Parts: sequence; C-alpha cells; structure tokens
Amino acid sequence: MSRIMITGMGIISAIGTSVEENRQSLINERSGISQLEYYPTAYAGRLPCGEIKISSATLNEKLFAQPGPTITRTGLLVLHAADEAVRDSGLSNAQLASTETALIGASTVGGMCLTDEIFHDAHAHSLGTPYTSSYDYASATLVAQKRYGILGEVSTINTACSSSANAISFGARLISHGFARRALVGGADSLAKFTINGFHALNILSDKRCAPFDRDRSGLNLGEGAAFLVLEKEEDAKGKRIYATLSGFGNSNDAFHPSSISPEGEGPYLSMKWALEKAGINPGDINYINAHGTGTENNDETEGRAMQRLFGSPPPFASTKSFTGHTLGASGAIEAVYSILSLMHQELYPSLQFKNPIPETKFKPVKHYRKQSVQHVMSNSFGFGGNCTTLIFSK
Amino acid sequence: MLYVHNSNCISPQQTFPDTALDLLNESRDNQLLVKEPVYSNIPPGILRRMARAVRMCVGAALPLLKGIPEPDGIVIGTANGGIEDCIKFLNQIIEYKEGLLSPGSFVQSTSNAPAAQISLISKNKNYNNTVTHRGLAFENALMDAVMLLKEKKDGCFLIGSVDEISDYNFNIDLLAGSFRKEIVSNRQLFDHPAIGTIGGEGALMMTVSNAQEGAVARLEDLQTIHTPDETLLLETLKHFLLRNGLTQNAPDLLITGENGDIRLQKFYQAVESLFPEHISIARFKHLSGEYCTASSFGFWMATEILRKGKIPDIALKKGKQTEFRKILLYNNYRGMQHSFVLLGKPVG
Repeated sequence: MSRIMITGMGIISAIGTSVEENRQSLINERSGISQLEYYPTAYAGRLPCGEIKISSATLNEKLFAQPGPTITRTGLLVLHAADEAVRDSGLSNAQLASTETALIGASTVGGMCLTDEIFHDAHAHSLGTPYTSSYDYASATLVAQKRYGILGEVSTINTACSSSANAISFGARLISHGFARRALVGGADSLAKFTINGFHALNILSDKRCAPFDRDRSGLNLGEGAAFLVLEKEEDAKGKRIYATLSGFGNSNDAFHPSSISPEGEGPYLSMKWALEKAGINPGDINYINAHGTGTENNDETEGRAMQRLFGSPPPFASTKSFTGHTLGASGAIEAVYSILSLMHQELYPSLQFKNPIPETKFKPVKHYRKQSVQHVMSNSFGFGGNCTTLIFSK
Repeated sequence: MLYVHNSNCISPQQTFPDTALDLLNESRDNQLLVKEPVYSNIPPGILRRMARAVRMCVGAALPLLKGIPEPDGIVIGTANGGIEDCIKFLNQIIEYKEGLLSPGSFVQSTSNAPAAQISLISKNKNYNNTVTHRGLAFENALMDAVMLLKEKKDGCFLIGSVDEISDYNFNIDLLAGSFRKEIVSNRQLFDHPAIGTIGGEGALMMTVSNAQEGAVARLEDLQTIHTPDETLLLETLKHFLLRNGLTQNAPDLLITGENGDIRLQKFYQAVESLFPEHISIARFKHLSGEYCTASSFGFWMATEILRKGKIPDIALKKGKQTEFRKILLYNNYRGMQHSFVLLGKPVG
C-alpha cells in the first residue's frame, strides 16, 4: 500500500499564527499561556489560558480582506490554519475543489464558543441571531468545504480531546483505500465558556501555568487553536517537499470512566501499541513522544504508567501543552505539526514548568530545547469518554 | 462493501422491539418524538444519569451485543450528541453567572458519550469513533465501517447513529427556518409542500461484517457530496449509477428523504426524473421526522424491505409491490449535504 505523505502544514495557536512562528516559540521556550485579554468570561484574570491574542474581527478581516460573513471564531481558526496548509502544499484550486480531495475536520466546541447567542436562540428569545446554523461541530468544517469547494468526502469527528488525531488517521485511511487521492485533515477549537466552566466544574483547571508530568502539577490550562495537514499519496508527492510520512496510528477506548483514564492506562497503552504495530516498528524505534500531558493529576500519572508498561524506560518525551494550553479537539493536529517539525529539523521541544518527577514513575520530560537525531515521533491524544488515539510520524 | 446483520431502530414509530410501521404515530406540534422503550439492559444507576440521546443509542446497541459480545469497533454518527444537556449546562453558566456548577450535564453532553458509554458498559477497548458531520454523520460513520472491514476482513463492527430533539435545538432550527411555521400533521406532510418540515429523532444501531451468511442486506455503494447545485448532483448520481451497472437496469426501489420542504423539492424531483416511470418510490420523513441522522431511518427501512420483501403501504409514494433486489436511498440535508446509498439483497 502506498505511503501517506505530509506535503503541507498550517497552524494557529497561542504561540504563533504560522508554522514558523510556532517553531520559533518552541525553540525559544516562549509559552503562550497567559491571562485572558479577549475572551469575556468571569474567569478572565483568574485562570490563565492559551489565548490567541487576535480578535475575531481582526481574523475575519485578515481572512476575507473585507468585512466577511458571520463565521464563528472556531471557523475562523479553521480557515486560518487550512489556508496556510493549502498554500504550503502548492495544491491548485482545481485540485483542491476536485472530487478526489477529502476534508476531515474535528472539533469539540464547534460553534458553542457563542454562549449568549445560543442561549437566546435556544430559548427563542429573539427572531434568531445570524448564527443559528453555526452552533454544531460540523459548522467549522463546512466553512472550509465552502471556501475551497471541496467535492470529495467531507467529514467532522468529535472524540473529545483525540478528535483531530482521529481526523488525521481517517483522512489517511480514505487515501489508502482509494476513497480519496489527497486529504486536508485537522481540527480546531476556540475558547468557550462552555469548556472553561465545564473543566472548572470538574476541578481540573490550574490557576497557574500547567506543569505536565510534575509531581506538584495542579491541572490543565485551556487553549485555542487550529492545525491542518495536507496528506498525499507517495506517487503524487514525488517532486514536492515532503515533511514526513504518517506511518502509524492506533485507536483504543479505555472503557473505564466517562472523564478519567484507568490507573494502568489501558487505553493509552493499547493505542500506542497498535500504532507501533501499524507502523511496523518496535517501541525502541521511537525517538521522541509528544505526550498528551495535560498537567492533570489523572492524565500524567496514567500516561506515564502506560509508557512504562510499553517502553520500560521511555524515550525523550514532552508535553507542548505547556506552551499552547490544552486546545481540546485541535490538540491532536497541533501536536502533529510539532511532531513533524521535530522530524524535519531533528530537534526536540521541551515541557515547560517541570521541576520534580512523579514518584511512581520517576520519569522526567525533556526540559530544554535540543538538537537530536529523530527518525520516528509518537504523538498521543486521549479524551473524555476514554477515546485514546496515537499517531506515529516518520522521516 | 459490507453486510448488515442485526439492527435495532428506536424511532417515533413502532420499530423496537417489534415493528409495526402501518400503525402511524402522529406528530405533535411539528415534532415526532421517540416513544422510549423500557431499557432493561442498562443498569439502573447508569440509566438515571444518561442523557436521552445516550440512552436511546445505548438502548438500541446493548441487545445486539448478545450476538457479538466484543465487536472489533464501535462507530456512531451524531450531529449533536446530547444537545439537551449541552444547553442545560449553558443555562447554568448564564443563570449562575459562571459560578460553581455541577459537571454532570457537561460530561453527558459530549457528543462521543453514546459510543463511549457502549464501550464502557461492555468493557470494549477496541476502536471507537464518533462522527459529527451534521446531515452526513450517519453516512460518514458507515464509510468508517466500510474501511474498518477492509482493514479487518473477518471483523464485526457495531455502528449506528443517534440524534435527539430537545426544545433547545428545535428552537434553534426553527429560527434557522428548518420547520413549518404552521402546525402540520405528519399524515399531511407531503400534501401541501411549504417552507420547512417537521422535526424528528431516533437511534439506529446495527452489526456489520463481511459475512454474507445470515445477513439481511448488503451495502453495495455509498456516495456523498456537498453542493447546492442540482446539475452537479445529477452528474454525481449518473456516475454512481454507471459504476454500479444501474444505467440499463434501474434499482427496483428509490427511497428518498423528501420532507415536504418546498425548497428541497427541486433536488428530489431531479433525482426521481432520472429513473424510468415504472420504478417504485418510497419515502420516510413522515415516519421519522427530519433530523441530521434521519437517513439512518431510511437505511433501516430499506433493510426491512429487503428482509420482508414488502414496502410498508404508508411509505409508498408511487409504484407497486414487487420483488426488491436493489434499493437506492437518496437523502438531502438542507439542500447542501447529499447521500446516495445502494443496498441489495445479501445473496446474488
């Protein structure tokens, strides 16, 4: 079967509005987690987040060069990242609009970033805001479908925090089985009162910058962003700049609890194991893991436990959520971009704020940026509902 | 592509556990609500906390696990998941001005909750996916199953869809112009086409595999497209018929998602016009109501027709009872998301 190549990337996050800006922030260890300046919530000033410091109005102007249509912030983030990925891949408009092009998006918030508008429309307090067709998860994907006129398979996935990792593997599988020739895959989520209050109610938001894999970690920071990849068949990618190949993916359900992972990290263990099997490589071949590493009590301990079971002593690993915050449905795609950058530039990005290891595993993440030879990178995404997905990118 | 084995459809009509489609349950205030069964399979402690969409889906899924205790994967299509809990949580956010909230509704509202709950209750650690692509969430879940069965040829998968009506999403869709402004009974849905239709909800769960033996239907092909243009739609259909050898021999039955919304009639008329006069046509939205994954009801009805060899009289638009070997299902969501699904008898 033909290999799946990544020929384009686009990203917007709290640490930059392009692939290059994101990489510079990772190299220079500049975190994007700060107090909220734009998003209006009662928690502004109390719970730091990975906020993109650009207003939706400015994003809209930038994307449409004039007052654009009413698109939610999630939709704007999709377009920003997808535009960059498409430009980067060099796909023509005709190629993009063809029936051979698939578009697979992912989101856990979708249009629910608009709390007050939904409230008014759901209670029929008004004659309808302009957003009545924008609240669902698919709305942001559909904005991109329309912009590029994509006529192939178009879908949206929501498996909570592993959503866009599943969107990436879904696109790759469509190509492998001949249902698409190329695929634009990724995901987006913007900050929302819905998630800020939801995670706060679960008592897992930190009032400090998150410290993944640290003994004294105090929870996660929410973030926002989007990332998209262009996937093409090896034959079609000939002569193009190829960033990496998507060599493996695994999807397992932890089947333990609606909002926490089993103590032995069974789902994470299986998703990593199956991704290795799919890639046809051994645990020892992995040079770097971009961990899920949210900074919560439950995740970091169980993910560490799963790594211990699979690797014994794991390869260098880090959580870039210490830069971006947890971007939920976008995190799988955002971290895929970072994993691919690591392969391309032969370098490892660190986990910030780490001081002391978790006593049970004693694992220490990469603490500072460094150059290193990298052949295979693993990227983990685990979500509510036990949805665990692992991707492996290779040189 | 795959074979459909057992299925459970929980719908506004009498479809679970027994089927009696000719006893038409009537809509009320332009809504067709599911008559929920007694969920004897779901542990009461868990059932109490479940959102309605979650329990409809889990309720349809669990009896199927008697036949295959550990499917190789679970895929659910749902546009909105637990929308009721979602807005309940939003209500709390506004009412308590983002104060201390209970996370119950938040956890129940995530759209992967139905698939996750099935995994959790049955301790199934295999592949698990939730597709949320509005009017094509069900078809794209089917597509996932098609690919899964190419990857694991001897596998068996549990797939399906669910969406619920809550007052909230009904209001939102009403404001968006989806539903009739005047009350119309589902009995008269097709009599006077006007702007809008009636709302519905339901869950379908089924087991699928590559095994022909014991199957009720075979999925022969599946095609989706996003377009507001009926010319492009017809080109897609012609191509679909060509690749399935259906240009000379039309399918025996066309089932459409016609829903009484005058704005969508041009698409349904265009599709019907492509087939010879004698072909039978059936429809189902007066039974299911309109919702994002309503095409799953049409899909289930097609498998029932293949199994029983008879179209429910209430579903027949034109034509006559004959032998049904191939059924084409065409659905359209809001004039933009289209699907063609070809189903055949499992043998031959």
